[in-house]
Amino acid sequence: MTDSLYNFAARLREFIAATAGRFGAASPLHAQDEVAFATLALELFALQFAHNPAYRKICEARGVALATVTHWTQIPAVPTAAFKELELTCLAPEQRTAVFHSSGTTEQRPSRHFHCAESLALYETSARGFFNAHYAPELRPLILTPPPEQTPHSSLVHMFEMIRRDRNQPASAFVGALAADGSWVLNLERAQADLAQAICDDTPLLLLGTAFSFVHLLDALAEQNLKFRLPTGSRVMETGGYKGRSRTLPKAELHALISDRLGVPPAHIGCEYGMSELSSQAYDTGKLGEPTYGERSFHFPPWARAQLISPETGRAVAVGETGLIRIVDLANAVSVLAIQTEDLGVRHPGGFKLLGRAQLAESRGCSLMPAA
Amino acid sequence: MNLPSYFFADLPPEAELTPTMITEACQALKRNREKYLAARSTPSLVNLLGELGAEWRLPDFPYRKLALEQGPALTGFSSATLEHGLDAFFQELTADNLEALLVQELGEGSRLDKFAAAEAESGARRQALARGPELLAHVAAGNLPNPAWMSLVLGVLTRSAQFMKCASGASYLPRLFAHSLYEMDKKLGACLEIAEWRGGNLAVEAALFAEADCVTATGGDAALAEIRSRLPADVRFLGYGHQLSFAYITAAAFAGGRLANTVEQAAVDVAAWDQQGCLSPHVIYVETGGNVMPERFAALLAEALERREAVMPRGTLSPEVAATIASRRSLYEVRSAHAPEDTKHWCSTGSTAWTVVFESDPRFQPSCLNRFIYVKGVKNLTEALQAADPVQGQVSTVGLAAPAAQAAELAPELARWGVSRVCPLGKMQHPPLAWRHDGRPALGDLITWTDLEV
Repeated sequence: MTDSLYNFAARLREFIAATAGRFGAASPLHAQDEVAFATLALELFALQFAHNPAYRKICEARGVALATVTHWTQIPAVPTAAFKELELTCLAPEQRTAVFHSSGTTEQRPSRHFHCAESLALYETSARGFFNAHYAPELRPLILTPPPEQTPHSSLVHMFEMIRRDRNQPASAFVGALAADGSWVLNLERAQADLAQAICDDTPLLLLGTAFSFVHLLDALAEQNLKFRLPTGSRVMETGGYKGRSRTLPKAELHALISDRLGVPPAHIGCEYGMSELSSQAYDTGKLGEPTYGERSFHFPPWARAQLISPETGRAVAVGETGLIRIVDLANAVSVLAIQTEDLGVRHPGGFKLLGRAQLAESRGCSLMPAA
Repeated sequence: MNLPSYFFADLPPEAELTPTMITEACQALKRNREKYLAARSTPSLVNLLGELGAEWRLPDFPYRKLALEQGPALTGFSSATLEHGLDAFFQELTADNLEALLVQELGEGSRLDKFAAAEAESGARRQALARGPELLAHVAAGNLPNPAWMSLVLGVLTRSAQFMKCASGASYLPRLFAHSLYEMDKKLGACLEIAEWRGGNLAVEAALFAEADCVTATGGDAALAEIRSRLPADVRFLGYGHQLSFAYITAAAFAGGRLANTVEQAAVDVAAWDQQGCLSPHVIYVETGGNVMPERFAALLAEALERREAVMPRGTLSPEVAATIASRRSLYEVRSAHAPEDTKHWCSTGSTAWTVVFESDPRFQPSCLNRFIYVKGVKNLTEALQAADPVQGQVSTVGLAAPAAQAAELAPELARWGVSRVCPLGKMQHPPLAWRHDGRPALGDLITWTDLEV
């Protein structure tokens, strides 16, 4: 990591500290924040163009030079799939002290998002800044994923570990485990004991997990005909798809089941949208202390922007239309700031509604990916 | 012109079909068949179908006009693509071709009417009579109308009452064909039913299967296995599973000024029915070692697809399908930036209308279709077949561009490998009427024989 990137990271941290709470109807982003975002984005693009050779090659193949990019919306986005094939990083091999992989049991080759101590610190500043803007610091986390020592390459678990440390909870707050086949399972006894304990202590819980981990929990509770009523003020945050790890439920049905089995009303169940290729996350619930108005939509923090791009024309879609989600994330300082996902969403005035993933690979025997 | 309500599929979408309605409809179809169809002669049916084929090719034929006017909104194909597809099918629907089909399948053209001997049997004092199913049920897949139309034609030839269940949202073109048949011959039309529902409506489907003698079904392998498991034991099942196709171009196909034509024929095959049929190519294998390298062919094919788009535009896609194309394109863009010697790609600008991807890796790659084609270089056919190993047994058609003598040498190799149809490049989506779908007898599978030894 170069001095110029260190310098950028330091200034971005200041920007994050200043703007983490500026979203939502009551306290919108200031006009100068928009200008600062645009300036930082172009600056970071120039740095990555200079220091990320794999990214630069993609830009050049598109005929993009530094001078041709005059607005952050023109920064060439890299498809998430490219993280499986290329080393999209500004870090020299010896500087790469950590790597986040994409999840999924069917992946032949995962995405690789390299980090160093400084970029991890920036990741945490970003993740913490926006998570804390949505979830109260006094909530006690109960985490349905395996602990970080079992899943060192999961960016999600890294974030959950940060949340646990920030809230001074013991490592036992993680009640998931890694099975022998590499899949994520739940220690049901411990999960149930912790749920019961929270009710006994009358301590509101912050229940964190993937959608499939909640299905595992709910199915187990249903089997035993058990229902909990978590203390008032408890929150649930679920994230990610199912990836073939449990039966698949429509979002509303999952939330209804969570309400029924855990006693947390749907208004207090939120979703997170994140991925290993990003360093910022989007949430679909209102700001801490404010109710969620109207239809839920995902919003990124002030240091990231989501655009919805028409897959047909490649241009940004209008409100109400469907497009592929593209994100410019300033916290992706040492990799690529502009990421083109394969996720479809509907553009909302203040963000987007997630629809799901485009089918990149056909399931019939052949894979798009070359053999590893 | 509004279509009258003859068929279930003409009812408004909110109308729900019940098992009783299906049972009663099937029984009425069988009664009508007994009254109006069972005793019809083969020549009268052949002439009627031949006339219908000719009508459909007339620009003013009302059903054709409807198909071209309303089809784009209801089927997702552009008017020009529909026209191309309609003509390819109805050109083949002639009395001569139907007679040839009967002889091919039955050995002799009148055996659905009376005991008769095929030429080879005439000395053996044997005759035979062919009978069709009383009620033939079809479970038609989405996308293309040709298999559904052909099923209906075959069922008319076998004098069967027919009930066609279309996939949801895919009944329009089969329905138009059934209406045109009804219009031409109301009694024959009274032996037909077209309905549409989402597959897996078990009670309604059980009612249909309970009345049928024979069920034909087109669809994915899992869907077919599932349908088969629900059929009564005495019902004959003809399943047409998931198949795919590719093209093969020998180096000699470019010689002697044939390059431009070969490229054009490849574009015809990619564009026909927006590449959605089992007969459309996913990959075009091009032999290296000639004077046209596969990359150059790919570039020329891109130009040909662009020209074709101007006269025969691809249909409108849902965002989901367009997103698949966009996502694949962006991956190939990254690969071509990093290893241009291994990957190149050409894309329509401002749309997903067509995409050509050249890859040096010959491994077969299923396309996401809608005019998205892979071009891959190989030394020879053996290498291509090795590369296509993952889809061996699922390949319907190989469109072959090669001089006649060479084609005659390659065809047996393709047959031994398991390909069920080899045709000239440019004709992949244009099979003759009598072609054997998935390598099975077209009409022969439907009938039951009575042998007579005299």
